[in-house]
Amino acid sequence: MSLRWSGPAVAGAVIVALMAALAVAGPIVWGEAAERIDAGAILQGASAEHPLGTDNLGRDLLARVLVAGRFSLALALAATLIGAAAGIVLGTLPSVLPKRGARLATGTVNALVAFPGLLLAMFTAVVTGLGARGAVLGIGAAIAPGFARLTQTLAASVAGADYVSAARMLGVPRRRILSRHVLPNIAEPLILNLTQALGGALLGLAGMSFLGLGVQPPSFDWGRLLFDGFSRIYVTPEVALGPAAAVALAGIGFNLLGDALARAAARTTVRKMDEPPAPPPEPGEPDPGAVLDVRDLTVTFPGGSTPVRGLSLAVAPGEVVGLVGESGSGKSLTAAAVGGLVPYPGKVTYGRLHLGGRDVAELSDKELGTALAMVFQDPLAALNPALKIGGQLAEVAVVHEGATRAAARRRAVDRLGQVHLPEPERRAAQHPHELSGGMRQRAVIAMGLMGTPRLIVADEPTTALDVTVQRQILRLLREVVAETGAATLFISHDIAVVGELCDRVVVMYAGRVVEELPADRLADGAAHPYSRALIASLPDLDTDRTRPLAGIPGTQPAPDQVGPGCAFAPRCSLATERCVTQRPELVAHGPLQRVACWEVS
Amino acid sequence: MIIQNLTVRFGDFTAVDDVTLEIPDGRVVGLVGESGSGKSSLARAVCGLVPYTGSIEGVRRVQMVFQDPYASLNPRMTVGDTVAEGIRGRDRDSEVKRLLDLVRLPAEVAGRYPRELSGGQRQRVAIARALGGDPGLLVADEITSALDVSVQGAVLNLVRGLRDELGLPMLFISHNLAVVRYVADVVAVMHQGRLVEVGPAEQVVGEPAHDYTRALLAAVPRLRG
Ligand SMILES: Nc1ncnc2c1ncn2[C@@H]1O[C@H](COP(=O)(O)OP(=O)(O)OP(=O)(O)O)[C@@H](O)[C@H]1O
Ligand code: SF4
Ligand SMILES: [Mg+2]
Repeated sequence: MSLRWSGPAVAGAVIVALMAALAVAGPIVWGEAAERIDAGAILQGASAEHPLGTDNLGRDLLARVLVAGRFSLALALAATLIGAAAGIVLGTLPSVLPKRGARLATGTVNALVAFPGLLLAMFTAVVTGLGARGAVLGIGAAIAPGFARLTQTLAASVAGADYVSAARMLGVPRRRILSRHVLPNIAEPLILNLTQALGGALLGLAGMSFLGLGVQPPSFDWGRLLFDGFSRIYVTPEVALGPAAAVALAGIGFNLLGDALARAAARTTVRKMDEPPAPPPEPGEPDPGAVLDVRDLTVTFPGGSTPVRGLSLAVAPGEVVGLVGESGSGKSLTAAAVGGLVPYPGKVTYGRLHLGGRDVAELSDKELGTALAMVFQDPLAALNPALKIGGQLAEVAVVHEGATRAAARRRAVDRLGQVHLPEPERRAAQHPHELSGGMRQRAVIAMGLMGTPRLIVADEPTTALDVTVQRQILRLLREVVAETGAATLFISHDIAVVGELCDRVVVMYAGRVVEELPADRLADGAAHPYSRALIASLPDLDTDRTRPLAGIPGTQPAPDQVGPGCAFAPRCSLATERCVTQRPELVAHGPLQRVACWEVS
Repeated sequence: MIIQNLTVRFGDFTAVDDVTLEIPDGRVVGLVGESGSGKSSLARAVCGLVPYTGSIEGVRRVQMVFQDPYASLNPRMTVGDTVAEGIRGRDRDSEVKRLLDLVRLPAEVAGRYPRELSGGQRQRVAIARALGGDPGLLVADEITSALDVSVQGAVLNLVRGLRDELGLPMLFISHNLAVVRYVADVVAVMHQGRLVEVGPAEQVVGEPAHDYTRALLAAVPRLRG
């Protein structure tokens, strides 16, 4: 989780830090002043001596506001923790209880959520007795249903995950599934919610005290001070101002910080790199016609792992380029680097990374968002399960282009039709889980088409789909490319699919391009020993079933263990001494083909 | 084991419609069909993950390897802990190492988290986890669709090795007919929730009896320009 220090986030953090400091230091510094009774200065308005005036015993109100911080915050914290604890327990019950009890727990939560929070708080406070304890329990009770609902929703989504199914089949006990699988995966959003709930509790408690249900004299919190000052508001309004401002400020601070944390958690990637591309290797002539022009792209992770090593690649308008290579060869990270989505703490450097003729570092998020459409392997991850398909697509046009809701929605339906989703009107009104895998993938592509992308990067969009659907989706991408002049980088480990459906194929191995050639030459014209071995290990309908399948012996070196020579050398039957020590460059091998191999070129 | 008159319904949609299929001891039964044909629903029913009507007889422990390696590993657990989940009363560390070795992963990945692995590496972890549960039937749902061809060969060889050495029966699901033909002894073709053809692998591929099987055969991608 990486926090982006935007204005509101900074403001929130500063306010919360100030509040914490106030809670610690307030009573120590101003404690005495807050209690000093001065019969000669009763019920005064603002003056140089008492900037916020005095109360009915002549005590300084500014000091009292500053001192009340600790009590107010402590009560809010207590209320939040009580509410959260009760809510989380209530929310997890449905996943541990047997069916009947689970249904009862769910029903209770639903009923409580529907009940107005303030009423719940007041009711609890009155039942448990006036005073600070009653107020804290009351606000806790008001907070609990929200937490219960959140916990329940989160737990339900995790409980449906494949890894929970796997654990169940392995006979892992329920308790353990809850502690190892469910709770750790829902902890983060719950903790984030705590921060925001704290802000709410603060306001709620002030409200309770203000209504006379909360803190009773001689104790005082902000709400109590507000209550006392309010009766004088027409005569000396400043006496109510201090506590009101304190409550508002603290409430806003916690909400801003909670919001910023939640956003940071939702965005687990960092966009731009803070350091300038280290020694920029001479990038050579840019390719003016290319939609995507990548030169010497390198992605490194701390600890010497370099999954992408000086990769160069160009995609022309209207072209569908297939990027193939084995698992871990760096295909996805290459795509991620193009979209500025390399996960923290990855570092991206390049000689050139141009999209539509411009350096991606110069593009704003918005420009990048419209110029580039990314389609990922897992369409569910790209779609919010809670929102309808149509609304999610429309959102793109509203955010990126400031389209009106109605116009954006019309375009969404139009785009869904364009990707041949049957009954686009009806589908737009459905949730992601109501669509099949292939349909969801189309919806994600349609989402990419809401703008006018110059480049579509599709990272294994069809892995989980059968050949028929793969064909349809690739045909669809082709249509789009032909209509809009956009280009497509299609990532797959399935060399057969790529060979059949792309214009050009780029083969990657251990972070580098080892061969580039027109797709129709793949079967007969592939020259690099790795490409050839890949093709040979494809089973087809005539493969001899009595013999073990051909594969490539050994494994690809890990990204932190790539030696100085040809990375394929340990697995290559043609390897020589030179291959181990010197790395072959990618050089032309006949027209339209480039190969990085000593024995071929 | 035998699956008898198995039906799976979601609301008023019938995903699996009255399927009867035998998985003989020590045999690999391949299940093919396009996406949405009900393959995964059948698999999940056999594993007891979705409610069904009908009966499944003659098998104790079923383990499954899932289709999506991104969703099937707990992101907060190390690979070692994940693989160890099904291990009972055996030396944990050496067993984890053996399982990882079976799926061609180096022992040091045990300390890593799924996010540090590529998609293919994750899928191999999932296979290792299932094998750790000492299954009486392994259900493999599209387990090679996220694997590389260079590794796919090894995994398919592994699948056949498991059958030959351990006599481990398997329901092997894939949309790739070439793959299914290679590993499976028996091929069952599924279409819209029903089995339209079942027979020895060579026969189903060589002399398909059903139009739908022929259509699937025609869709196998070929590297000819
Ligand atoms: N966040 C990360 N931290 C450390 N290493 C990573 C990270 N993400 C990826 N890697 C490593 O980088 C290498 C390349 O990963 P990448 O996901 O790009 O592979 P890929 O070619 O897309 O593979 P696949 O076909 O399996 O999807 C892998 O060895 C992987 O373990
Ligand atoms: S350079 Fe040498 S090791 Fe590398 S692929 Fe060519 S022959 Fe094989
Ligand atoms: Mg990938």
